Amino acid sequence: MSLLQIARVTLVATAANLLCSQTIVAQIRWDTIDQVDFSITIDQQFSMNSSEGGAQKNQTTILPRIDLDLSDSTSLTVIARARFDAELALGFDGGSSHSDFELREFYLDAEWAGAYWRLGKQQIVWGQADGLRVLDVINPLDLREFILPDFEDYRIPLWIINAEIPLDKNWTAQFLLIPDQSYDEFANPNTSFQIRSPQFVPELQLGVPVTVEKTNKPGRTFMDADAGVRLSAFVGSWDLSLNYLYHYQDQPVLYQARDDSGISIAPLYERTHLLGGSFSNVFGNTTVRGELGYSSDRFFLTNDPSSSDGIMQSAEFSYVFGLDYQGWRDWFVSAQVFQSIVSNDSAGLVREKISTTGTFLVRRNFMNDSILAEILLIQSMSQDDGLLQLSLEYDWSTNFRFTVGSDIFFGSSKGIFGQFKENDRVSVGIEFGY
Amino acid sequence: MNTQANTNPLSPFFEFLVDHPRKVVAVSLLLMALTLSYLPQLVKDTRADAFLAPDNPALIYRDKVKEQFGLSDPLVIAVINEDKEGIFNPVTLSLVDWLSTEVSRLSNIDSDRVTSLATEKNIVGTEYGMDVSDFFDPVPATQIEANLLRQAISDFPLYQGSIVSKDGKATLIVAEMRDELLAEDTYAEILAIVDRAPVSENEQIHVAGEGAIAGYLGSYIDNDAQRLNPLAGLIITLIIIFAFRRFSPALTGNIIIAASVLMTLSVMAASNVAFFVITNALPVILIGISVADAIHIYSHYYDLQATRPNEDRRQLVVETMLKMWRPVTLTTLTTMAGFLGLYFAAYMPPFKYFGLFTAFGVLVAGVYSLVFLPAAMMLTKAQVSRHFIERHQAGREEFFARIMSGLGRLTRNYPRAIISIFGILAVSGLFSSSYLVVDEDRIDTFHPSEDIYLANEAINSHMDGTNTLDIVIETGQIEGLFIPENLRKMEALQVYAESLPHVQGSTSIVDYLKQMNRSINGGDSSEYKLPVSSDSVAQYFLLYSATSDPTDFEEEVDYDYKLANIRINMNAGSYQDTRGAVLSLERYIAEEFNSDEIHATLSGRVNVSYHWIKGLGQSHFVGVVIALFLVWAVAALLFQSITAGIYTLIPVVGSILLVYSAMVFLGIRLGIGTSMFASVAIGLGVDFAIHTLDRLRDLNREFAGDSDRVLSEFYPSTGRALLFNFLAISCGFGVLITSQVVPLANFGVIVALSVATSFLASMTLLPALVTVFQPSFMKAPEPGVAANNGGLIRATVAVLMIGLGGFFALPSVVDAAESLTADEIVQRINDVDDGEYVSRKLVMHLTDRRGRERVRETFGYRKYFGEEKQSILFYESPSNVKDTAFLTWDYPDPEIDDDQWLYLPAVRKTRRISSSDRGDYFLGTDFTYEDIKLEGRLEPADFDFSLVGEENLDGISTLKLQSTPRNEEIAKELGYGRTEFWVDVSNWMVIKADYWDPKNEPLKSLKISDVRQVNGIWTRHRLEIQNHKTGHHTAFIFSEVDYDSVIDDRVFTQRALARGR
Repeated sequence: MSLLQIARVTLVATAANLLCSQTIVAQIRWDTIDQVDFSITIDQQFSMNSSEGGAQKNQTTILPRIDLDLSDSTSLTVIARARFDAELALGFDGGSSHSDFELREFYLDAEWAGAYWRLGKQQIVWGQADGLRVLDVINPLDLREFILPDFEDYRIPLWIINAEIPLDKNWTAQFLLIPDQSYDEFANPNTSFQIRSPQFVPELQLGVPVTVEKTNKPGRTFMDADAGVRLSAFVGSWDLSLNYLYHYQDQPVLYQARDDSGISIAPLYERTHLLGGSFSNVFGNTTVRGELGYSSDRFFLTNDPSSSDGIMQSAEFSYVFGLDYQGWRDWFVSAQVFQSIVSNDSAGLVREKISTTGTFLVRRNFMNDSILAEILLIQSMSQDDGLLQLSLEYDWSTNFRFTVGSDIFFGSSKGIFGQFKENDRVSVGIEFGY
Repeated sequence: MNTQANTNPLSPFFEFLVDHPRKVVAVSLLLMALTLSYLPQLVKDTRADAFLAPDNPALIYRDKVKEQFGLSDPLVIAVINEDKEGIFNPVTLSLVDWLSTEVSRLSNIDSDRVTSLATEKNIVGTEYGMDVSDFFDPVPATQIEANLLRQAISDFPLYQGSIVSKDGKATLIVAEMRDELLAEDTYAEILAIVDRAPVSENEQIHVAGEGAIAGYLGSYIDNDAQRLNPLAGLIITLIIIFAFRRFSPALTGNIIIAASVLMTLSVMAASNVAFFVITNALPVILIGISVADAIHIYSHYYDLQATRPNEDRRQLVVETMLKMWRPVTLTTLTTMAGFLGLYFAAYMPPFKYFGLFTAFGVLVAGVYSLVFLPAAMMLTKAQVSRHFIERHQAGREEFFARIMSGLGRLTRNYPRAIISIFGILAVSGLFSSSYLVVDEDRIDTFHPSEDIYLANEAINSHMDGTNTLDIVIETGQIEGLFIPENLRKMEALQVYAESLPHVQGSTSIVDYLKQMNRSINGGDSSEYKLPVSSDSVAQYFLLYSATSDPTDFEEEVDYDYKLANIRINMNAGSYQDTRGAVLSLERYIAEEFNSDEIHATLSGRVNVSYHWIKGLGQSHFVGVVIALFLVWAVAALLFQSITAGIYTLIPVVGSILLVYSAMVFLGIRLGIGTSMFASVAIGLGVDFAIHTLDRLRDLNREFAGDSDRVLSEFYPSTGRALLFNFLAISCGFGVLITSQVVPLANFGVIVALSVATSFLASMTLLPALVTVFQPSFMKAPEPGVAANNGGLIRATVAVLMIGLGGFFALPSVVDAAESLTADEIVQRINDVDDGEYVSRKLVMHLTDRRGRERVRETFGYRKYFGEEKQSILFYESPSNVKDTAFLTWDYPDPEIDDDQWLYLPAVRKTRRISSSDRGDYFLGTDFTYEDIKLEGRLEPADFDFSLVGEENLDGISTLKLQSTPRNEEIAKELGYGRTEFWVDVSNWMVIKADYWDPKNEPLKSLKISDVRQVNGIWTRHRLEIQNHKTGHHTAFIFSEVDYDSVIDDRVFTQRALARGR
């Protein structure tokens, strides 16, 4: 990093920090603008790698948001995001860049022809599980920081035509058309959270040259669009949904071809049908929830010598079952089990045929909900690895929130979590919201 | 006599009165004037409902049904055309249209609740489903169109009999009032409309219905009372003048009447007791009773003066009072005892008050007769008519004395015959009383020549009837009425009901569904049946609402299709006529209808009336027994002899039994008005017996048991006075016979009859019995004055104690009407209207003990769906909580947990959450979920409430309530061991509260301010709550409150939750 670059980044970060102070923001009299609601969140996060020492990120995130009421039933929402990171351990798109600008969400809400429309760039979450993805596969992920940030922050919003049609008070149908071909974005090579686990990346043999061909992305706006339907209902105090999505999986399938010159990898996105459903209900202090899904065409890495391309095609069945308990004042305890089952039997399958993950969450509020302490354990039963997240949030005043947290990876370094065990971190942050 | 005067301890008292006549008269009049200041507060309550205690279950349920379905007692206008075409001609139909429009314009008429041919809709099938359109679209202008309408109605069985008579000659316009207390004015306004209606030949218009009866009854009875009371006063004045040939006794008598009547009404006003329909009889009764004492006193005084014309007036007055105070006190006490019997036996509040306050009026009359009268006699220089002196000196008996002497000779000569005759009468009375019929019909209150009576007759003969019985159907689940099984049960219930006597028709959602089924299936009459599947039912309602106003069914079914009402029309309203149907329906419902899935309850006017009259017979007989016992006890104390007590009762018992026979013979039924007669007859009739026995005993001692001399002395003196006493009373009640209010006229007849019987029995039977049986109490040696008075004093104390007991027991009764118990206050608080829906901005200020504040801006909506309440709260600021939203569906059944969802923007997901323990704090505030849910109401299921007292809070007068949890479990769950509330009595809003935790340590203090009306609804705009344990403070500030803008049901869905509305 040149001195000039450091100076520029520091300048921007300082300017952003200055914006945090109420005096400057207060001068902006946005609220006098009719029917326009302007809000902004400015977040300053500092993370240190506790395994190896050294700063991992020193990032300012600015999230301006405009809500414009066009009529009683029509409104426009625009959320943009600017990120400035003084460190380079994580990086942004485009290599060693310190800044990133993005239109996060931009959608029009309208009521038309008996349906509620949301048109534009948005996030849509299906299912009942927290963090574990069975039905929640509409938006791809930005894995720059793996899955450590807030869910909404690492999901990549898509351009979607979203129509919800109330059938009666308790039944709703939702139709989605997603002509946006964006897929998961992985951490840049040689950054902290680059995926290396053999479950996702073919293990390479020393001395064998590898060529990675250009990723073959689907490009036809409508022919390659994802489409889905959800029917949700509230029946006899059960929240139920039935979901169907025809979509491209957000990770490319790494087809391998071997010849004398070595191995060439041809990443290709593949389509699948996903059929599933979700449920939740409350029994006393306990919420029972779950979701299940069946994907017709999934593609897994295989070591089977008879496989010509190193990939095994199979259907996959997965489900999550969760219990939330709220029986003690100010406490929230939640446990989930996730299983994914590959239907085909294959000797060379890199991942287990049945992969099991559990999560356990304990949260407690203090001082009239102004302090929120949380412990989240994610444990992969199959790989015997996992992630432990501790966090503390303090709503200091209307506009300021302080956060402290720690992310600890453990277990086999071949596991999805264990691969990052050198990247444990401790973070502190301050957030200003107006 | 002089000896007695000198030794009697009461002499100084009466001497004081006659020595200071001006002062005594002035003080008496002043006291009256002071009490009178309360009189303007007297309120009238002529509602039929006033006859039942406000906590009567039938009444409470009926009111609940009224609220649920918006049903009230209707005003019914009938248009009758006896022509060949009946009402189906363009002229009459346009009259119906005109009347419907005019009636809808009245401010107290709910224009949505006017039902007539002009407002109702026809349901016909079309190729797309069905079409719902107004019958009068347009108003038929030609006979052909009118004939088409006749056809449409004949295809719609539901309207036959309910809106149009089956013969097509009559049609109804049924109008419901917004406020039934304004019924009187509304009835008058409708009569005015009818007056200017363009009525053509052959057309008649009648106005009737329960609403009209209530509306007219008040003024009808008022007018009657205004005529009767002066007439009674006038007649009594004439009797007094005639008896004494002097004017001053009439004047003083009228002052005593005024004192008794006006002071009684004033005390009623001061005790917050209303003037009910039957209270109209109170002045007339008091007029008759209160003048009796004056007649006896004047009579004795004039006798003395006639004997000793030159004696000093002062001496004569004192002597008269010393002689008369005893019988006057006696009769006052026994009469009070009779009326107190009514107080103790009656179960209807108006009767209780009637008994209690008439007893009070009798007391006032007695006191004024003993205190004011002697002073007034001095002041008016009471002078016997010269005529009397001359006759006395000539030794001639005056006309009335001669009559009484004749009666005396009859008794002396044929005592056994007299005893036998009365014996036979008594036995036959006892026998007839078993044939006595308990019955009541409010329409019979009116004279048969009254328009309203005729209207009622006309409507009941043409139509299904003006009397309504409601059956409320409750299914256990939302849309339970879509289930065909439930509908079929309702249909069967209607068929059964229509088979019962006097039931002419019934209406429910079942009839509409059948009509819709028929319309959709081509209009064939064989298709007039219920659809077979619940889907069809749902579809029919959907189709209907698509083509017409979905609120058309709000009288028949609730929003959730969970509750329904079956309205049954009966062409008779009397207890006897409706009793059979009520009992049969109660049996059918219990044995054949009710199940776990569906439940029916009777309600409506007919049911309330049934419960109202059901206990009347029993209450009447209990009242008689209590009154007899009290009178016996008082008389036994007075005469210091149990046997004397029994002798005292003989005339009144005889008179009551005779009245029973007369009622059976004359076909008078025991109803609201007539049931009171016995207590009145006992209270009045016993006076004759007491005067008779007291005087006979005196004379017996004087003449040493020589019965001939005793009787010949008794009749011309005491007998004559009693005759005038009787004439005054019977003329007073005789006036009632001329009343236009039928029950009051009947009441007059039977009281006059019973008083006459008591008088005759006292004048003949009692002396005969005494002569024949020579009871020992007649022969007892004259006791010392003190001992003799001892009995009287004990009796006085006993009666006053009973009376005071009654008065102090009154608060519990008055509470029911005016001043309230804690539970009623809670009910008032919970009854405060909070609007069907509301939208409002809520800014929460959460401040910790160091003063650091967090502000959350939210916007919320709340709406009732029947009794289910749904609310949603959207966070708007600051940005880190923006879009968080909280949805609650709160079910009326406490057994069913609320459903709650929380939308968390950070995960973009709606999370189903368990309905938090009620004592948990709501989203970081100091209010618990339960506090938020109750929205200022109080939960009687969890707490016992008690009234601590009244307090003035910053100029607001409040009632202070304390609540304690019903058990420890509730205390623990809610986190409250005790609570105190301050309730603003002007609007029944809680404005302050202190909370203690289950360990009885101070927990929280709530202060509510900026309470003001928004869209006519009292609204709390600022709530501040301080938590004493954590030091945390929460302020809720509401603004932009709007109860008027309709809120879309879809706001309360998960979709809205996630989308931010």
